[in-house]
Amino acid sequence: MASVWKEFSKGLWAEIPPFRVVLGLCPTLAVTKSAENGIGMGLAVIFVLVLSNALISLVRKIIPKKVRIVCFIAIAATLVVAIELLMQAFTYPLYQQLGIFVPLIVVNCIILGRAEAFAAKNPVHLAIADGLGMGIGFTVALTFLGSLRELLGAGQLFGHAVMGGSFKPFTIMIEAPGAFIALGCLLALMNCISIVSARRAGKEPSVNAGGCGCGCCEVKQ
Amino acid sequence: MREMASMIIVLSLICSASGFSLAYLRQATAPLIEAQVLENVQGPAITRVCPAADNQPVEERKAFELDGRRIMVFPYRQGGKLAGVALEGKGGGFGGDIGVMVGFNVNNDSLLGIGVTTMSETPGLGAKIAEPKFTRQFQGAAMPVEARTRGGAVDAISGATVSSLGAVSAVQAASRDYQALKPQILQAWQ
Repeated sequence: MASVWKEFSKGLWAEIPPFRVVLGLCPTLAVTKSAENGIGMGLAVIFVLVLSNALISLVRKIIPKKVRIVCFIAIAATLVVAIELLMQAFTYPLYQQLGIFVPLIVVNCIILGRAEAFAAKNPVHLAIADGLGMGIGFTVALTFLGSLRELLGAGQLFGHAVMGGSFKPFTIMIEAPGAFIALGCLLALMNCISIVSARRAGKEPSVNAGGCGCGCCEVKQ
Repeated sequence: MREMASMIIVLSLICSASGFSLAYLRQATAPLIEAQVLENVQGPAITRVCPAADNQPVEERKAFELDGRRIMVFPYRQGGKLAGVALEGKGGGFGGDIGVMVGFNVNNDSLLGIGVTTMSETPGLGAKIAEPKFTRQFQGAAMPVEARTRGGAVDAISGATVSSLGAVSAVQAASRDYQALKPQILQAWQ
């Protein structure tokens, strides 16, 4: 049980995908125009990530090493098309909002990264915990980024006006440059927090976001 | 050799399992997706095309066959009489097909108006084809609709010629279907 919790919780803070390991930036930057879009994208990624981790972990012993990447992508692609169809069938307005970024989940590095780095080496229950943790971390990050941009760029939160009449929205925050500005500031903040907390613990601060390279996402073998 | 065989077998098994499950899911969700598209995409476009309808065009829709294609036609009544019909045409735009709902007046064969249903044109440029400034030009237009650059009366949006011509060709496609189907349409609703 302790190990399940450990795998689950690492995705929530220590390895939260867009902010710590800096993976999956394309949807992070593109769809976070509003908090609602962030949640929607995050939920779609949770669905794909948990199921792909579970399936890959189930079949990990029968997949020959040489074709493993192809197998992972086939499984992820199937799940993405499934979620695309389900979104069209049940939440069409959200599907219209997210548009091309739903099919693009298949090339989201988080999916393949978790498959290769974790699900292919660990039993099913740990793989599900890992996928769930990473997915929830991704969702929280996207929702937070989306709320921030929506709040500053449109003066709204989940579509409700909250900033009062005298607030002039910075329209740039819901345009593409705003995504980079907001993400940059958040990454700086995250690094700042880790440096301060490392100093408090009396350890040498290690800044990893952005410069972590392939070592920390464990794709290289 | 054994490794080769196992690679082929495992990959084929995974791909065929995914193929079968997706085919099943696609079939299962097809009616739901059609209903969602009607409600979220075609419904609003029809309301734009025939705002004064005193019936429910979406609920009274009928499918017609034309050259093996299935075409959905939405009737538009005023005062209990069939005043017009709406149907969708597609034309190639800058970022894929542009779908346009076109309303036709059945009494004099002119256009009631158009409403863009699906498109993936560039925001701020080609996407302007969905704005009233462009779509207004089609209200009451006589039938062979053509862009001004090709000798017609429709002004293209500057900087978005391909999108504008795509919208025009979608209207033309709908017009051709309408003319071919007109006898059947009149029979079905009058």
